[in-house]
Amino acid sequence: MPRFSSEKDLESYRHKVAAGRAPDRRAVAVCAGTGCKAFGSAKLLPVFEAELAKASLKGKIELRATGCHGFCERGPLVLIFPAGRLYTKVKPEDVPEIVREDLAGGRVVERLLYRDPVSGKAYEKEEDIPFYMHQQRLVLKNNGLLDPASLDDYLALGGYRALAKAFAMGPEKVLEEVKKSGLRGRGGAGFWTGRKWEICRAAPGPDKVIICNADEGDPGAFMDRSVIEGNPHSVLEGMLIGAFAIGASTGCVYIRQEYPLAVERLGRAVAAAREAGLLGENILGSGFAFDLRIYRGGGAFVCGEESAMIASIEGRRGVPRRRPPYPAQSGLWGRPTNINNVETWANVPWIIDRGADWYRAIGTEKSTGTKIFSLVGKVNNTGLVEVPMGISLRQIVFDIGGGIPGGKKFKAVQTGGPSGGCLPASKLDIPVDFDTLVREGAMMGSGGMIVMDESTCMVDVARYFLNFLKFESCGNCTSCRDGLYQLHRLFTDIAEGRGSEHTLELVEELARTVKATSLCALGSTAVNPVESTLKYFREEILAHVRDRRCPAKVCKALITYTINDKCNGCTLCAKRCPQQAITGTVKKLHVIDQKKCIKCGICLDVCKQDAVWVE
Amino acid sequence: MCASPASSPRPASVSPAWSGEKAPPLVVGAVERTLVVMPRRCIGCRTCELACSFAHGGPGRMARARIRVHPAGEKRFVQITCLQCENAACAKVCPVQAIARDERTRALVVSLERCVGCGLCEAACPFGHMHFDRETRRAEKCDLCGGNPACAAFCPAKALEYR
Amino acid sequence: MAIRIFIDEQEVKAEPGESVLMVARRAGFDIPALCYHEAVESIGACRLCLVEVRSGARPGISTSCNMKAEDGLRISTDSPEIRRDRATNLELLLLRAPGSPVLRELAARWGVRPRLQPPPDAGIANCILCELCVRVCAALGHNALAAVGRGEKKRVGPAFGKPAEGCVGCGACLSVCPTRCIVMKDTPAARTIWGQSFEFHRCQVCGQPVITEKHRAFAIAKRGLPEDYYDVCEPCKQSQASQRFASVVW
Ligand SMILES: Cc1cc2nc3c(=O)[nH]c(=O)nc-3n(C[C@H](O)[C@H](O)[C@H](O)COP(=O)(O)O)c2cc1C
Ligand code: FES
Repeated sequence: MPRFSSEKDLESYRHKVAAGRAPDRRAVAVCAGTGCKAFGSAKLLPVFEAELAKASLKGKIELRATGCHGFCERGPLVLIFPAGRLYTKVKPEDVPEIVREDLAGGRVVERLLYRDPVSGKAYEKEEDIPFYMHQQRLVLKNNGLLDPASLDDYLALGGYRALAKAFAMGPEKVLEEVKKSGLRGRGGAGFWTGRKWEICRAAPGPDKVIICNADEGDPGAFMDRSVIEGNPHSVLEGMLIGAFAIGASTGCVYIRQEYPLAVERLGRAVAAAREAGLLGENILGSGFAFDLRIYRGGGAFVCGEESAMIASIEGRRGVPRRRPPYPAQSGLWGRPTNINNVETWANVPWIIDRGADWYRAIGTEKSTGTKIFSLVGKVNNTGLVEVPMGISLRQIVFDIGGGIPGGKKFKAVQTGGPSGGCLPASKLDIPVDFDTLVREGAMMGSGGMIVMDESTCMVDVARYFLNFLKFESCGNCTSCRDGLYQLHRLFTDIAEGRGSEHTLELVEELARTVKATSLCALGSTAVNPVESTLKYFREEILAHVRDRRCPAKVCKALITYTINDKCNGCTLCAKRCPQQAITGTVKKLHVIDQKKCIKCGICLDVCKQDAVWVE
Repeated sequence: MCASPASSPRPASVSPAWSGEKAPPLVVGAVERTLVVMPRRCIGCRTCELACSFAHGGPGRMARARIRVHPAGEKRFVQITCLQCENAACAKVCPVQAIARDERTRALVVSLERCVGCGLCEAACPFGHMHFDRETRRAEKCDLCGGNPACAAFCPAKALEYR
Repeated sequence: MAIRIFIDEQEVKAEPGESVLMVARRAGFDIPALCYHEAVESIGACRLCLVEVRSGARPGISTSCNMKAEDGLRISTDSPEIRRDRATNLELLLLRAPGSPVLRELAARWGVRPRLQPPPDAGIANCILCELCVRVCAALGHNALAAVGRGEKKRVGPAFGKPAEGCVGCGACLSVCPTRCIVMKDTPAARTIWGQSFEFHRCQVCGQPVITEKHRAFAIAKRGLPEDYYDVCEPCKQSQASQRFASVVW
């Protein structure tokens, strides 16, 4: 890898790399994202290598490991280029067939194609699959196309072109462009990124710092991780452009300890960028100097909050402090600091490369661009989805997510991570943008999206999030630490049949104070799941406290299992009951001893006669 | 007569300004008005102690009076109170700068909001005038009652005067 | 350069950067505050010093101890919302420290009665986890205490859970503790605190305890004091002084 000392150097090298890569070049891309790796995608590579050699295709067909494609649920994923054919759930024993039939023979391996679970229709190309068809991939676009370990790959796709352009534009113009693009922070509150940069740029003090927030503490969220793992240079390039606009010479990436692969890939990208002269002194001959360090966080959720993150990087206990002073005034090591989320940074090269007007055309007026969601829960297609802002929840859940599995009914979708809110079916058609979500009592957060079906109890859900948040509260503020503890306890009371309407009054009173008087956003948003549940699912909660009934049949204390006369006396339930709570002889109606029953639901699962009744 | 009694907190260097034949009064405080202590007039009645304890926390706190009358031989008494030293040991040793000079009265005053109750000053005062209150767990000392010392006001023998 | 802030519509002078709570208290406003101490940095833990900000970009309820005075700031110290939120937070604190006289007095004054179950014991009875002890200990240079754990499992105590090396037995932690929940025991022989025992340095005249040996050694070393600095107790120093003055006067 040469060292680029000017834009010209970079462009001529890019030209050289691109020339060696015909657009219709044949390639096999194996997803090496965390999801696919968990399903064993790493084992596929050596098998492909051996099989390609056997078929004397080695050298003719390129083999590469790529970042996450988002469709993790169907992993391991294998893509065949230039056709763009997608094979799902590929096992090592499928590889010889793929090589023989597809690569050597040009015939599609039908059985490995994605099949729509409802219609049964098979799809050959990635872009035709409904999961992908309704998405608009920008930040994730190159994830499936490049090897995250290869700077060449990134350069061949136009990498660092935006950086060179930024140098030519000058910091003020870059700042104007980002402001004009309407980009808003993807890490939580949706603050205007250009405005934030401007404040930091204007702050007195020559020695500014920028931070990339890769703490990603929301349970079930993995978009930031996938961006870093799949396309680390895009984050670096975004940070470089931002640092140039702000006038920062130092950068930090705060990344979760639990993301070793992301740490490794980002580390490699940083090393490669340094070697190529894209980090360090006088970058591309611009006179601009910038370098960055990677910090590993201990995995506390609250360390994602910016002031706690700064404390943690400085080696102190990760506890938020009061703002103002904002990081832009006095941040890391007392220097003016600008913090943005991974996805925010990764949007920047697009804005500079294509221009603010191009970017603005995506999304809505006040929420521009795309947003990545990690779509999980009771939905057919789980995974990472990137959609234009303003798309409806219904499109995400039903068109992309493929609806609810098992023919069940949609009940709610929780957006915004643990401190987001639960929106009911009546809100399915609202546009997904920063302001609408907040108005409806949820939030964008960092992009968690959990789908719930009719078998989900909302008391249980609220309790789950309260449990998470009380555990992750740093413990500083009375209201957050003890308020969330008490709220969790009250919801436990409701779930266990000890609740009354007085309990609900206490809940509302506490929620108000926790929200109004906690120091950081962990506390002030922690009651969102409670408040949105009370707002949209009040009847269900009242059923718990008034009638001691759990309509979704989840809260164990409020349900009973009985056996009705459909029972044919097969004895299976009695045999499998871990408590020996079921008695009955062969071919006779069985009975559950309520005193012994622990409501584990095994009898319900094993009964073939539909004779177990839950109420 | 307004020279401060001690430029250094060590007892050894008590200023000679108020020693000598004519028995000049001990002068405490500074600039405008000073608390003048005249042991020769003291009759040992302890009214000053009582007045002080009233002024600082009410009756029943006699033990914590910030002025004390000590016998010094037959029918002789010495009233001991804070000298408001120039270079005070208490203020110097305080790790949180809780003892500072009141601009108006020139008294060294303990800020109860700032004192952390570590007790270092009590042990530091060379004259034993700094008191650590075991109940409030804060340092206490003479503050010249904010400019109207009760001890002087109530002294029947005019052995204490604020002038 | 002094600035002006407005507290309940009353104009008050302040220095820029001063804590709003400090300014308000100096001006005679009664704002409850448990975790505030002028000598250390405010962390805003107890959430009782609430005021309502009425100016600037972010109006609303906020703590005053860690709010810096800025020219033109307008706050009010009382409103139904403030009272309600203070009461709720006090209730939460009271569940932790039912034995604290300070909390009980506030509760009586505000008519707060706990309706909830107490959280699990914080290791020290009546501790409200305000970290004043930790902050003061660090400010004094001992760094013997630390806060550990998150959420309701947060604890305060000797760092690493075992008797801390830095502790000198000065007792400042107890002095600043709003609920006085730290257990310190003095016997004629020694002082016991945080699971450690400290021998006293004694008065060379009467033999009464003056200061713990370790605290004396720390102070002498850290502040360059003479070796005999802490050799005489308060009453003995007084009588020594009285003799000396007498000899000067007569
Ligand atoms: C409790 C808490 C946790 C947070 N966790 C994250 C996180 O994991 N990742 C993130 O990017 N932002 C997180 N944030 C938001 C950050 O504080 C900050 O707003 C964000 O990184 C700013 O970047 P942006 O403007 O690009 O969104 C969190 C905030 C709070 C209050
Ligand atoms: S005094 Fe302000 S939060 Fe405790």
